[in-house]
Amino acid sequence: MANENATPTPTYEPGTRNPYMPYVATVVEVVTETHNIKTFRLRLDGEGVHEAFDHKPGQTGQLSVFGVGESTFVINSPPTRKDKYIQFSCMRAGEVTTALHGLQAGDKIGVRAPMGNSFDYDAMKGKDIFFIGGGIGMAPMRTLLLYMLDNRKDYGKISLLYGAKSPEDLSFAEDREDWLKRDDMNTYLTIDKEAPGWEHKVGLIPHVLEAIGPSPENCVAITCGPPIMIKFVLQALNKLGFKPDQIVTTLEKRMKCGIGICGRCNIGGKYVCIDGPVFTFEQLSQMPNEL
Amino acid sequence: MAIQEQLKKMILDVLPDVDCVIGWGPGPDPLRGSPFFMRKPEDVESFMAGPMAVQNPALFLPEYKGKKVGVVVKGCDSRSVVQLISEDLIKREEVVIIGFPCDGVLDVAKVENALASHGEPGEITAVEFSGGEVKVTLAGNTHSLKFDDVKADKCGRCAVPNAVMSDFFAGIAREASGVKDDYEDLAALEKMSLEERFAFWENEMSRCLRCYACRNACPMCVCRDHCVASSRIPHWISQADSTRDKLMFQVIHAVHLAGRCTGCGECQRVCPVGIPVLLLKRTLSKGVTELFDYAAGMDTESKPPLLTFQVEEATIKERNW
Amino acid sequence: MNAQNKFISRAKLADWLKELSSRFEVWAPRKEGEGARSVVVYRPFEAEKGLELDRKPTESAKHTMFPRSETLFNFRRNLVEGAPSLELEEAADPAPRLVFGLLSCDARGFQIFDPVYNGSGTNGQAKDTYYLKRRSSTVLIVKSCSKVLSTCFCNWVGGGPASTEGADVLATEVQDGFLLTPVSERGAAVLDSSLLAATNSDMESAAADSQTKAAAALPAAPDLKESQSALLGKFDNAAFWQAESSKCLSCGACTYLCPTCYCFNISDEAAGYNGVRLRNWDSCMMPLFTMEASGHNPRTPKMGRLKNRVGHKFSYYPSLHGGRIACCGCGRCIKSCPSSVDIRRIVTDAIGFTETVGLKEQNNG
Repeated sequence: MANENATPTPTYEPGTRNPYMPYVATVVEVVTETHNIKTFRLRLDGEGVHEAFDHKPGQTGQLSVFGVGESTFVINSPPTRKDKYIQFSCMRAGEVTTALHGLQAGDKIGVRAPMGNSFDYDAMKGKDIFFIGGGIGMAPMRTLLLYMLDNRKDYGKISLLYGAKSPEDLSFAEDREDWLKRDDMNTYLTIDKEAPGWEHKVGLIPHVLEAIGPSPENCVAITCGPPIMIKFVLQALNKLGFKPDQIVTTLEKRMKCGIGICGRCNIGGKYVCIDGPVFTFEQLSQMPNEL
Repeated sequence: MAIQEQLKKMILDVLPDVDCVIGWGPGPDPLRGSPFFMRKPEDVESFMAGPMAVQNPALFLPEYKGKKVGVVVKGCDSRSVVQLISEDLIKREEVVIIGFPCDGVLDVAKVENALASHGEPGEITAVEFSGGEVKVTLAGNTHSLKFDDVKADKCGRCAVPNAVMSDFFAGIAREASGVKDDYEDLAALEKMSLEERFAFWENEMSRCLRCYACRNACPMCVCRDHCVASSRIPHWISQADSTRDKLMFQVIHAVHLAGRCTGCGECQRVCPVGIPVLLLKRTLSKGVTELFDYAAGMDTESKPPLLTFQVEEATIKERNW
Repeated sequence: MNAQNKFISRAKLADWLKELSSRFEVWAPRKEGEGARSVVVYRPFEAEKGLELDRKPTESAKHTMFPRSETLFNFRRNLVEGAPSLELEEAADPAPRLVFGLLSCDARGFQIFDPVYNGSGTNGQAKDTYYLKRRSSTVLIVKSCSKVLSTCFCNWVGGGPASTEGADVLATEVQDGFLLTPVSERGAAVLDSSLLAATNSDMESAAADSQTKAAAALPAAPDLKESQSALLGKFDNAAFWQAESSKCLSCGACTYLCPTCYCFNISDEAAGYNGVRLRNWDSCMMPLFTMEASGHNPRTPKMGRLKNRVGHKFSYYPSLHGGRIACCGCGRCIKSCPSSVDIRRIVTDAIGFTETVGLKEQNNG
């Protein structure tokens, strides 16, 4: 009478790493980027732990402020620059980010990383790359941009259009200076409205993008920013002749476990925490419409 | 014409002017009715009033704010509608109220309990009402129950069998039984010492699943998506599965309903694990009645006493003045 | 497996469970609450509080394997000037458990958890160590159902009143007791008590008879293989979802009574410098479930949430797990829904054959 075909009960294998236990890390440096964005540079505690850490551009991590909670952020330093620290930039929005903003160098923090997929930077080799970032949306793209600059010969023309409401809302001041100086990339900065002393472009990102008019030929557009910006950037790219599989973005969802179990970040059968956060618009168009 | 047929006709008349009419329809088995949203004339065919009209349809009205909807109400339901209007949670002109004389509704749990010795109540295949009796067919045998024994507790103390306020009323208003609500259900609890009472609640709340059906079924629970139960700022209630935190939520809920609760009893009816949460609200309602001689949901112009302030309350003599 | 069937009399059942309590933390269904409010819940077995094996449990046995709230780890912060430190201490391993008297549908529910929690079923390879430790140390004694409720539909989703899937032992009620059939090795290992008796042919045929009768009492099962594409096809049909969800209160009763709903939240509770990280049940019916930090919520209003609950069970999960539907047909979500929302009806409406399966009489609103 026993069912010979019954699925066996899964067993626990001793030695399996507990995916919910964070690594403990130390805050090495906190950089105030804007009135509501701070960058945290972290080093994982324990001998050899930081050195053994490995990630790919686009992957995320969960930061814990113990007693407050855990939230997901993209790792925004590239694997090519992790000797001293790994970096996360966080906009103050809720309870965890508010607590994060109170941290100082020397404080302890929890890190579960890396998580999720990454930009397909191998498939982008030999192509022109056009980055379009708005506000905090620059954070995930910074990782890939720096990675590509560190492997410059593998890629064609690299361009960046980075915009924010005002000059004070632009992050990564040090990087910006470098990007503007470099002759192996084109950097366009824009703000929504004229501001005294501003020497760069003025206008909403989709309009500036159209005016720059990058050619879709052998080009990949990578965009990240608030949903309303993405909507109009897509329209602009569409007008310029970019196909959905040439446009890449990263998604935001409320996440908790980060490992495809807790069930909240799904879009149909895809879990943004493990199947994302990076998707092409071709992939998104085949998923249910629930962004 | 039977009340149900009169109501159907009224609903059909109202339907062209509203987004939908909310009433009751058949549920998943013969013992369970269901809230019923009628949008097309053919929907009205399945409308049911009477003892199966268990749920309080006033609950759904705030979701339709800005649209005009119709609602069929028992007397108790109409008090929720009145209270919602008086607190400006819905607009009087956005709701068409259809009333009828209510003879009481079924308490599904009482029927199931009464028949427990005859088999699993879930096997019930038919339920019929006739002349104060409920005939229930279970496992092939028909059992007769007295309606008074299986009607909802609130119906036994009902003083408002007809809608307090209505635009249309089917049939002739029924006379109230004249029974005075003496809060007899609270007597056992009030006799307990504080320690015993706390132990009673700890025991009851230990079953709580934190599904918050009690909260979501409450027409006067207005915070909805911004509930203290899940809020982290302020962080008043721990997410740990502790009976004290669960009770803490119930107490907050009850205090927020003091003078606003119309006693519809939906919070207790919907609890999947049978926790008598209405007792907390009734305890406060009793206090409000004694202190302020006030009953919620009787008059759209009146304000709940705890939403107003008077330097000297007529019945509160805290300093023996 | 060659182990013999055994018999436990009702009179000796409590003694047997007491005996098992020396090896396991034993859980069993019992009655709680007064009169009409009484319900049947799974609790750690206490002989003096009795057993309730005649009514079907109100709640599922999910929390015996997946606690409503569990500690993932404790943390201690030490804010010494100049050298702050932090210690994390993982929760202790669970004691071995034995659940007596869960239903076939309950046991099959854990099989829906398994591929998600052991990392075999999705792109995520992570193994949920808390679940797996408990799962591999818990013995399940399933009680086959002799009665079928109007809300039962286990046969729609591949189950049956005496399904042994996921069970270690199957207990079938016979005269004055239960016939115990070992299903797994570890199930056979708990049947070594002197309190158990040998079976006879009357018992064996009575048990077989009761199982056949219960299976025959279930209405015919429709073929749900189209649910995957049908629900996706209805994804953008707001009118459909508004009609199906109008009466839904968007509470969590369905998800928390469900043997297969496995979603959770993680949150910290601190007291001073110390605290715990907790995992708590969460529900896709709750608006905060998907609320993003920006204030944007992809699943508002409530129709989006009900759509996810049904879609996950009958479309998204099957698409990831070899077509297996993430519902075990226990019907608790229907029986205990404050508003009588019927998940069967939503699925058959989406596929378009509600009338054929005889659910036409009830109206979903």
